[in-house]
Amino acid sequence: MNETDVLKNIHILAKKIGREVNLMEVCGTHTQAVARAGLKSLLPKNVHLTTGPGCPVCVTAQEDIDAIISLTLAGIPVATYGDMMRVPGSFGSLDQAREKGAKVFDVYSTEEALEIRNSKLEIEEDLVFFGLGFETTAPMTAYAIQKGLTVYSTHKLFLPAMKALLEIGELKIDGYICPGHVSAIIGSRPYEEMKVPQVITGFQPNDILVSVYMLLRQLAEKRSEVENEYVRLVKESGNPEALGEIFEVFEKTDGNWRGFGTIPGSGLKIKEKYRDFDAKIKYKDILDKVDFSKSRKPTACKCGEIIRGLKSPKDCPVYKKGCTPDKPIGPCMVSVEGACNVEYRYEK
Amino acid sequence: MITILLYNATMCLAFPGRILKLTGDTAVVDFDGVEKDVNVSLIKGAKTGEYVMVHAGFAIQKMGEEDALEVFKLYKEAEGK
Amino acid sequence: MKNNESVELDHGGGGYKSWELLQDIRGVLKSRGKWTNCEDDAAVYDLGKQKLVFTSDAFIVEPIFFPGGDIGKIAMCGTINDLSVMGAKPLGISLSIVMEEGFPKADLMKIIRSINKVSESSGIPVVTGDTKVTQRGKIDKIEITTAGVGLAECVIENNGIKVGDVIITSGDLGEHAITLLASRFNYKTKIVSDSKTLNKEIEEVGKYLNACKDPTRGGLAANIVEMANKSRVKIVVNEKTLPYKKETVAVSELLGIDIFSLASEGRFIAAVSPKNSDKALKILKKFNKEAKIIGVAEKGTGVYLKTELGALRPIEMPKGKLIPRIC
Repeated sequence: MNETDVLKNIHILAKKIGREVNLMEVCGTHTQAVARAGLKSLLPKNVHLTTGPGCPVCVTAQEDIDAIISLTLAGIPVATYGDMMRVPGSFGSLDQAREKGAKVFDVYSTEEALEIRNSKLEIEEDLVFFGLGFETTAPMTAYAIQKGLTVYSTHKLFLPAMKALLEIGELKIDGYICPGHVSAIIGSRPYEEMKVPQVITGFQPNDILVSVYMLLRQLAEKRSEVENEYVRLVKESGNPEALGEIFEVFEKTDGNWRGFGTIPGSGLKIKEKYRDFDAKIKYKDILDKVDFSKSRKPTACKCGEIIRGLKSPKDCPVYKKGCTPDKPIGPCMVSVEGACNVEYRYEK
Repeated sequence: MITILLYNATMCLAFPGRILKLTGDTAVVDFDGVEKDVNVSLIKGAKTGEYVMVHAGFAIQKMGEEDALEVFKLYKEAEGK
Repeated sequence: MKNNESVELDHGGGGYKSWELLQDIRGVLKSRGKWTNCEDDAAVYDLGKQKLVFTSDAFIVEPIFFPGGDIGKIAMCGTINDLSVMGAKPLGISLSIVMEEGFPKADLMKIIRSINKVSESSGIPVVTGDTKVTQRGKIDKIEITTAGVGLAECVIENNGIKVGDVIITSGDLGEHAITLLASRFNYKTKIVSDSKTLNKEIEEVGKYLNACKDPTRGGLAANIVEMANKSRVKIVVNEKTLPYKKETVAVSELLGIDIFSLASEGRFIAAVSPKNSDKALKILKKFNKEAKIIGVAEKGTGVYLKTELGALRPIEMPKGKLIPRIC
C-alpha cells in the first residue's frame, strides 16, 4: 500500500466523477507542502487544487501593517514573526524601519518576545508584539498577554473566511482540504456547519495525497462530510485548554482581511480585562495620527483575488515583472507560504 | 554564511517531538536528536515520554506513540469499506 | 546593484545577491592576465607541465568557538579545500588576522593552535601572513583571511559534468550550519561542525571526478545550481537519497530554513561518470561511510528534486536573508 496505489485510485475516481473538480487548500503550510512535493503535476487533469486565504501574513490588512510600522517609527520597539518583516506597508516595511534604526525584532515565539522585553530593552521601554495568525498562534499570544506582553492584535478566526468563500460563491469549491494545526486547536466539529466535502489534513505529502483521495471519494459517492485524515494529531474536541486560553483573553470582533474586507465575527480583540496590554488602546494617540486613507494596496497587485482563489499568481500583471521575492510588491510574494512566493520558487 | 531561503515560516510550521524532562510549564523535548525547551502550558497533563506537536515554541497537542505516518491506515480502512 | 544602494546582509549570503555583487566587482576588475578559472573556487595559471592554483577566503563566525571547531579551523580548511576541489595539491597558506582591541590573547592562541593542528594533520604549512588590531568596536572580535597556492597536474573544473554522470556527496551535508544554528538558538544536539580538510580524499579519488565543488556558502543548492549551469546539464536529485541526518532535518524544520541552503565546511559534491562511480564511492566510504550517490545529470537545464511522490520540482539558488556570522 503506497503512494502509487493512492494516485492510481485518485485517477480512477476523477474519471468516474467526470467533470472539473475544484478543491481548495486553505493553509499556507499546505500551499508549501503541495509545491515541495510537486503534487499538482501528478493529479488528474480535471482535478484542480486552488490556494485559499490560509497565509496569515497575506491576509493581514494594509491598515494593520501600516499601524504597526507607525508604532515602530514613533520609537516603540516592535516584535513580530519573521515573514512580516518584509511586507511592504504604505510607509515602507518593518525591515526598512529597522535599517533606519527602529527597534524591530523578528522572533520565533512569544516567549522570545517576552525575553527581549525583559532582558534586551531599557526598563522603561515597552515592546509591542504584532499578534498575527489564526487559532494556532492565538493561544500563545493570549498566554503572553497574561504574562504582561503588550500586543497589537490582528489575530483572526479561520472558519468565517472559509464560510465567506462559500457564501460569496465566486468560485465553485467542491471540497476543502482543512488546515491541520488550526484543527488541532478547534477540533473537527466546527467544520460541520459547512455543507461541503471536507478533509482535515496533515502536512506530509502522503497526508495530502490521501486527503485528495478521500475528497474525491466523497464526491463520487455524493457525500458531504467532515472527515479527519490527521487522526494522529486532531481530536474531535480539539484542544480545549488552548481554546480556553484564547477566550480568556480575546473576544470575537469583526475581522479586517486583505482580499475580503470585513468578515463579521472573524477577528480577535483583546478583552477589556486586559486593556493595559492592548496596544490599540495604549498607543491610541499615535495610531489616531496615522492617515489610513493612504493605506491602499498597491494597485496592480492581485493578492486580494489570489487569496480568494479567483486568480492564480500567473494572472497577476506584476508577477515576476516587478514583483519578485527580492523586490516584493504584495504580501503573497513575501511570505514563504504566500501563493505567489510558492509559485515563483517551485514552478518549473 | 548561512542563507535562510526566503525567511522562515514560523506561523504554521510544527514538528513532533518527545518530552524528555518536565519542569513546571517547560519541557525539554527531543526532536529526532535535537533537544530544545518547549512551553507545555497549552496542553493538559503533559508527561515525560509523551509525544507532542510543537509550534512556535509551544506544544499544541499530544500525539500517540505510533509511527508518524499513519496515513495509510486510514486509506486501507477506506478502501476496505 | 546600483551605485546609490548600500551593501546588505543578503549580499554576503552566498545566494543570488552575492553572485550579483560579485558580477559588479568583476565588471570593474576585468583584467585577468594569463589566469583562467577566475570564477571557480580557485584561479589557475598554466605553467606548462603543471598548473598553479591560487585562492583566498575571508571568515567571520559567531560564535568563534563551536562544537567541532573554531574560526581558525574553518579558515584553514576552507582555503585548503578550495584548492583541493580544483584538483590541486596545496603547497602553503597565508594567514591574515584582524582583531578587535581587547580580544583575549588566550583565545587568539587557542585559535592559532587549532590552525596548527590542521596544518600538521594535512601536511600544509602556514608560510606567511599578517596581523592587525583595530580599536574596540570597529570590528566584532576577530576576522581571518587565508589565501593558498597549490599545484595541479589536471584541474577539475566546475563545468565538467557530462550527461549521464552521477552526482555524489562525500558525506552528509549541512552539519556546520546546524552546529552554529543550534548554538545560536539553544538547541542541544550531538551534531558537530563537519569542518575538515579534503585534500587526502580528493588526492585518491580526483582522477574519477569530472567536476567538484565544496558546498560551503549557499549549501547544496547554490553549488549544484552553479555546476549545472556552467556544465549546461540538468541535474535531478533524488529525495529518497538526500544526504542529511535526521538531526539536520529537525533543526532545519524547527527553524523553517531550507535544508538545501545549509553550509558544510568539510564535504564536497562531485560528478562522476557511471563507469567510475563504484570505484570512487568505495574510496570515499573509507573516509566517510555516508558518502553516497544523490542524483544524476541529464540532458536539459536546471536542478530538480525528484520528490517522494515521484514528481519533479526545482531546486533554486538560495535567495534571502542572512543570519550573520555563521562562517
